[in-house]
Parts: sequence; C-alpha cells; structure tokens
Amino acid sequence: MADDILLSVRHLTHCFRLSKRQVLRAVDGISFDVQRGEIFGLVGESGSGKSTVARCVMNILRPTQGEILFNGVNVCDAAQRRANKKMLQTQRQIIFQDSASSLNPRMTAAEIIAEPMQINHITTPRGSCRAEAEFQLHYVGMDASYLDKYPPELSGGMRQRVAIARALSMEPELLVADEPIASLDVSIQAQIINLFKHLQEEHGFTFLFIAHDLAVVRYLCDRAAVLYHGKIVELAPTAELFSNPCHPYTKALLSAIPIPDPRKERARPLVKFDGKGLRGEGRLEEVSAGHLVWKEAET
Amino acid sequence: MNEDKFVQVGIRPPAEMRTAVPVKRRKDFPVVAAGVLAVIVLGCLFCGAVMTKDPAYMDLVNYSRPPDREFLFGTDTMGRDIFSMIWYGGRVSLLIGFLSTAVSTVIAVVFGSLSGMAPAWLDAVLMRAAEIILSIPNLLLVILIQAALGDANIWSISLVTGVTGWTSIAKVVRTEVRQMRESEYVVASRCMGGGFFHILWKHLTPNFISSIMFMAVMNVRTAIVSESTLSFIGIGLPLEIISWGSMLSLSEKALLSNAWWIILAPGAFLVVTLLCITDIGSFLRKNRKQSNL
Repeated sequence: MADDILLSVRHLTHCFRLSKRQVLRAVDGISFDVQRGEIFGLVGESGSGKSTVARCVMNILRPTQGEILFNGVNVCDAAQRRANKKMLQTQRQIIFQDSASSLNPRMTAAEIIAEPMQINHITTPRGSCRAEAEFQLHYVGMDASYLDKYPPELSGGMRQRVAIARALSMEPELLVADEPIASLDVSIQAQIINLFKHLQEEHGFTFLFIAHDLAVVRYLCDRAAVLYHGKIVELAPTAELFSNPCHPYTKALLSAIPIPDPRKERARPLVKFDGKGLRGEGRLEEVSAGHLVWKEAET
Repeated sequence: MNEDKFVQVGIRPPAEMRTAVPVKRRKDFPVVAAGVLAVIVLGCLFCGAVMTKDPAYMDLVNYSRPPDREFLFGTDTMGRDIFSMIWYGGRVSLLIGFLSTAVSTVIAVVFGSLSGMAPAWLDAVLMRAAEIILSIPNLLLVILIQAALGDANIWSISLVTGVTGWTSIAKVVRTEVRQMRESEYVVASRCMGGGFFHILWKHLTPNFISSIMFMAVMNVRTAIVSESTLSFIGIGLPLEIISWGSMLSLSEKALLSNAWWIILAPGAFLVVTLLCITDIGSFLRKNRKQSNL
C-alpha cells in the first residue's frame, strides 16, 4: 500500500510575511496522500491556500513547516533535493493558471515545448526536438502548423494546450495543475478537461488538480479535498464527497452549484457557512472508509 | 443650432474618425543618419579603395599643407595626408567604439540579471556597488585604470572604456529583470531545472534587449568620445596609431600654427558620426515604446 503513494504531504504549513508584525497562514498544517495514478482534486474558494500547496509541492515556495514526500524523497530537504535533482525536475511538472504569462511571448510553440528537453539534455525518442514538439502538439490536439506560432498569436485554449504539451514532453509521473482552466471560457474548459481525462487514461500519470469549479472536480477527480482558510475540512472520494458531504462548509459549497432549471434553481435552499468551528485546534476524523472530516477540538 | 438635436451622442463624426491613422512602426526612421553612417562605416572598412595616399607615409616636403587637389583635406604637421588618415583612423575609432560597447553590455547584462534574480539583500549590495562606481567621474576612472594597465593600445582602451561604462545599463537590466522574474514562464523554467544562464539567455535577454538597445548604441558614441579625449590629453593611443582621437591630439599645436584643417577634418567626421549614432539611438528609444508586445 505504501508503494502506491506517490506524493505525501505531511503537516504542511506556509506563512507569508505581510509586514513585520503581520503573518498570514496561507496553509495551516494540512496532510494528504496522493496515490499513484489517481486524479486528486483540491477545491476551495479564493485565498484558501490551494495554489500555495501547489507551489510548495513544486519547490517554488519553501514551506514554513512540514514535509512533502515525492517518490519517497523529501523535497523540502535541500540535501535530498540535490541528490535527486534530475528525477524531481523531470518527474514533476506544473501547469499554471494563466497561459498568457506562463509562456514566454518571444519563443515559438516548438521552442517552448522543447525547452524542458533541452534543459535536461534528454535524447529525443523521435529524432529532433522539433519532431518531438510536433508529436506532443498532436498529442494535445493541435497540428504542426502551430509549431512556429508565438503565444500572443494563439488563443487562450491553444496556449493552454501548448503549456500542457510542454509539461507532458517530459512524461512526468506527477502533474500539478494550478487552476489550468480558470482563465478559459466554458466551451474551451470542456475541451481541456476532456483532454486531461483522455491523457490521464492513456498515460496513467498522477494528477494534483487544483480548481474552484466543483462540477469539474466531480467530473475529473477520483478523490478531492476541500480547503478552507488553509485547512482541509473534508477529504473523500469524489462520489462520496458529493453525495454525502459532512462538513458544514462543504455543504455550503455544494449548495452553491447552480441547477440548470430555473424553477428548481429558485426553490433551491442556499446553505450559508459562518466559519464557525474552524478558528482553533482540531483534527481530521474518519467518518467512513476514506472519508475524513475536520472536527474542532473540544475546549 | 437646430440640427444639434439630431446629433447622436456617442457617435463620432466621420471627420474625427479619419484622423486615427494607424501608426506606422518605422515612421521616423532616420534615413539620412543611417545613410551617412553607412557611408562612413563602409568607407572605413574598405579604406584601401578610398584612400589616395598611404596614411602612414610622412611626406616631409609637403607638411602642413592646406587642402588642395592633391591633398583633399591637407596634410598634418608631419606631412601625412589627412583624407587618407580619416578613413584609415576611422577603423580604429569605430572598432574601439564597438568593442567597448560589447564589453560593457556583456558585463551589464550579467551583473544586472544577477542582481535582479538575487535575493533582496544581495541585490541591495550589488546595486550600491554599481552606484558607487557610477558616482566616480568616468574620466577619472578611465585614467586610473589606463595608468594601471600601462601603455595604451586598441585593446586596452576598449577594455578600459568598457569596464567603466556598464553601470547605467546594469541598472536598467536589473529593473527589467526584477519585473520579469516573478512571471510564470521564468518560474516554470526554473521548475524544469533551467540554470541561471539558461534563463538569462532564453527568457530574460530577448525581453529586455529592446530597452537597453538605446543605451548600448549610445555607448558606442561614449567610447569613441573617450578614446578621443584620452588621446587629446595624451594618455590615449600613441601618435603612430592613427585614429580620430590621435589625429585630434595634434590639434593644440595646430591651433597655434593656424592650420585649421588639421582640427576641422577629423573633428567634423567625429561629430557627424556621433550625430548619426545619436539619431539612430533616439529612434530606437522612441520605437521601443510602440513595439511593446
């Protein structure tokens, strides 16, 4: 069972220093395991610390406390990170939210996709870097005519596909997607989500998927964790989470999903969450198999 | 007055709309300056075809001759033909200009990017160091290093003017890099394992090159001027190496002997070259504001 865990986050805390006195706890002691080959969703409102988790996993931010084990390597430890540098650089990849800023406007699509291969001096299985870039572009559903286009010439969905192709070109084990669809419009979102699902089935990589769109999480993820103010309030298999939400915040969040029927929509009760029971100490308790809910400690 | 009632609000009259002509990017390209500069540079490069005399030959019969048909710009106090010397010496002056610009730009780009990518405390240290160098008068620093290096030649003068002229470019580079380093393509590249020089070359340089272009071009000018200055005050190139600066170094004696052509010919060429470079430089600066992606 332990072999199946690809990414293990243990008591991760990250504080941002806003000024000399003010410290913001963006992520507050969260723990979760991501199993090999699953799509793990992180859901939460803006400012709940989702992106901070992703950035800690990618070593962009240094966590204040806690540890992150990837393939048994503690990525927060500088010595272990150095020893496994190559593995970490190739086996984890990130896709950012805003494709306009995650692609250099002065590089062509082919250069962008080939960049990780050039950095890591990987011998390309398909001959040249360009052939490899073309293959990856086909893989994400674009043809070779886009190879020499610059990002500003591409549409948002195209750019995001190029970013996905760049991440996939290393054939990573773990793909961290930091709200990859939030900046796209709805029809393109559907395309990209289906692309993810398709790629995951074919490739079998592990996916840490960050979103604030619950419908997407329900469709795509195997398991999901709900984040609120830097804490996981509920963690369960997606089906279980949506059919049987236990924490009041999850209930409030789920009640906010609109129903595409005006009559039902108007009659639907909207649950409000006042943030009670999340101020102090507490821990996750197992309600049923694999379903964890935050319980406030009795004081 | 009556018709005012029928004017629809929010719709511009056609005459007003027509004024919004799309701005052409190469509108104010300085054709004259580029042309004159091209003539001068080509003339210097292919000076063998242009020269009428051997520029180093000292014609002791015809010294200090005013311009005439044989000696187009006259001869100097040692009997050398100034017309030939200008083309021949322009090579050295322009070479010094470009070499020292290359040196200073490379130093500035590396130093500025290093400072821009560094944590805040190291950035502060590096920038204060640059400001200290910037605050010392440039000429003083040039003279100091030149004196330490010993005898002047083309390479040492290029090096000295390059080493002293990078600070302002470095500050611009640093500011641009500070803005760019948080952008996600730099973060993504670092996640993939891109090293400092990879990020510098692939991501940063293409994005800030346009903002330092103007300053780099101006550095060519500064280097040519400081070579002339050094030669004029006597610690630059020796008299036997012909350059515009070393030709001008004869001018104090020429002033006394009333030989105006010895000063005017190389001086005019120097000024024209500098004007052309300045003109192109200011075009680059103006054009940059429009061409931002």
